[in-house]
Amino acid sequence: MSKKPKDVIPPGLAYIGDNILTRNNIIGAPKASGAKWAKDLSLPTRSGTVFFAGCGYQYAGELEALSSLIRSMDKSRIGAELPMGIASLQKKIGVDLGGVYRKVMSKSSPSDAQPLVDAVAVLSKLGVEVGYLAEDEPCCGGLLHYAGMRREFAENARRVYDKLKSLGVKRVIGIVPSCTYTLRKLVADCVPGYDIEVRHFVEVVQERVDSARLRFPRQARIVYHDPCQLSRYLGLIEEPRRILKSIEGIELVEPEWTCGEWSTCCGGGGGFEAVFPELSHILAVNRVRELTGTGAEMIVTQCPGCIMQLKAGLKEVKADNVQVLDLAQVVAMAM
Amino acid sequence: MAVFKDYKKQIMNAAHNERIGLALSRAIKSYRANIRSALQKFPHTYQMAEEVRQIKENAIGQMEKLAQQACEAIEENKGKAYIARTPRDALEIIDGLVGKGKLIVKGKSMTSEEIDLREHLEKQGNEVYETDLGEFIIQKLGSRPMHITSPAIHVPKEDVAELFSKITGQTLSTDISSLVATARRLLREKYFAADIGMSGANVVAADTGTLFLIENEGNIRLSTGAPPVHIALVGMEKLVPTFGDACKVAEVTWRFANYTVPSYVSLVSGPSKTGDIEKVTTYGAHGPAEFHVIFMDAGRTRLAKHPVLRQALYCLRCGGCLYECPVFAVTAGHFGDRYFAGIGAVWAALLTGDIEKGAAVAYTCLTCGRCKVRCPMKIDTPEMVVELRALLTEDSGQAVSFKLE
Repeated sequence: MSKKPKDVIPPGLAYIGDNILTRNNIIGAPKASGAKWAKDLSLPTRSGTVFFAGCGYQYAGELEALSSLIRSMDKSRIGAELPMGIASLQKKIGVDLGGVYRKVMSKSSPSDAQPLVDAVAVLSKLGVEVGYLAEDEPCCGGLLHYAGMRREFAENARRVYDKLKSLGVKRVIGIVPSCTYTLRKLVADCVPGYDIEVRHFVEVVQERVDSARLRFPRQARIVYHDPCQLSRYLGLIEEPRRILKSIEGIELVEPEWTCGEWSTCCGGGGGFEAVFPELSHILAVNRVRELTGTGAEMIVTQCPGCIMQLKAGLKEVKADNVQVLDLAQVVAMAM
Repeated sequence: MAVFKDYKKQIMNAAHNERIGLALSRAIKSYRANIRSALQKFPHTYQMAEEVRQIKENAIGQMEKLAQQACEAIEENKGKAYIARTPRDALEIIDGLVGKGKLIVKGKSMTSEEIDLREHLEKQGNEVYETDLGEFIIQKLGSRPMHITSPAIHVPKEDVAELFSKITGQTLSTDISSLVATARRLLREKYFAADIGMSGANVVAADTGTLFLIENEGNIRLSTGAPPVHIALVGMEKLVPTFGDACKVAEVTWRFANYTVPSYVSLVSGPSKTGDIEKVTTYGAHGPAEFHVIFMDAGRTRLAKHPVLRQALYCLRCGGCLYECPVFAVTAGHFGDRYFAGIGAVWAALLTGDIEKGAAVAYTCLTCGRCKVRCPMKIDTPEMVVELRALLTEDSGQAVSFKLE
């Protein structure tokens, strides 16, 4: 039973990997559509400090549509492997099946990218001016690493670094936890002499939050969900809580066992939803139950993957009264 | 893809099995409460765990030497010791000692699961009883263990009652204490009728040749004490240099297995002996006259050479990580092979040598990293899993050299 080694990568991850390598984003969409959210913000496209938006938020609508499609395939007798395999194959012969799905299925609305708009606004109000590379923003390639495509990741890492350097970037402020960890740690490990400073939104905001006098428009009982990559990989556990606690009107509650470094994964870790879509959904439902068990009316987190998973989980348990918001949205609402 | 497809089907069947979810949610809740209070009562455990990590790092680097040293010590204690390079070597040694048509009582051992020891002995015409209650249930169900310290973790009491009713021909209630009493009754006479008792070991001191056996039920004491022969099968990664080191490893192991202290820790260094009549040393007083220890390599010395994957050998098998894995919480040991969850992927690849099987388990890990937070050895399972995926997908030949024959 000899297998060509590459064949062991599950089709879902292979598809994402291929998109990163050929289209510079995980979904395989045109780069311009990802940059749409910023078109009215007139952010400078060249700056020493740039805001790194990442694939997850920029293509949130497309990802949600595609993942719900794969999930229903996975539940059926067809399984997720076949369509993912076909999508890769068709792409090779020039048919972009993923693109067709996206057009038909995508409910992409401006609110999908609202966390990005709000994050930039929050930074600006706190006196941090950032640029945004728009179509020139490279894909960090993190999922290549998790897919086991080590050589491809290393090559991509080099391209990412060269691109950022050629555009004069010295400092990156990330918002997607996985992109931030990838740029800070994984890319740095592949590039000798790596000299780009990478910080996460919560680090920058929590330093300045005391002077901001934040007040939420109403009284709200919220629970914070720690994304794995933010809490366990980047070690940013207290920072988001410090921000939330500084907002008047917000009561922060926590699940009994599963918060901070003990937080439960939403089920989307490392591209899991592309390999086990249905199981991933079951895990999302379990996590939603832990979070709503606190009696919170709002789940706040800061990861496009977690947001997508938790929304799907809430829908499954019919918790229509509970909302999922990005931390950046909450802070913007409180300004 | 065929291997992956079958495996995924199994995983999804488990995920849709509400009994598994129910049994595990109860187990996770009680594990977390127990370990919290055990660690509160003995807060020195954290620092001791750091010390044990150093002990293990050092020991894994010199497994070969420690195995030699332990063999010499055991022989000096009038036991017999062997080093088995492969599972086949181990089975041959055991066959030579056991023969055919014997009655064997066995303590729970993951290392014996690794080489399908019970099935092998039965095929050779022996009658084998698993004496750990969970393992006994698994044996009678014709199933396989789903957790390393609690093998029947996925079986609720209702199913145990049904099983034991079938065995005894009586209708038994779901009252747990009467189910336990039934197992006690069924197994009691076997210990004294048995020709051979078998066990593994949680940790072994190389300087004195002492096996540490941690348990709560008392079945290991009986299995290794009553029959005339005791055979122990031990993975080479269980060796540490000194008796003092082994004590620390044992304490950290049971503490993270959620116990303040287990009911029993047996220390076995040689056969039973007496000098009470005229100071003439005579073997086989009340315990076994023969004591055999087999140290099994089965890829471990090769694994120890890998800079990232060698972490798998630091594992104390406390089982703590499994209670923190979100996938394990809905699938139990279906996520894995002989060993489970993310760290189980490393063992699956090493032990089966099957790239597809190893990959299937490796891609079931979320790489969420909560297992690492729990682990007393701070084993970085996400790092190992990503490394393993890269090894298995690369065509550089590294994956192949990592395999067993």
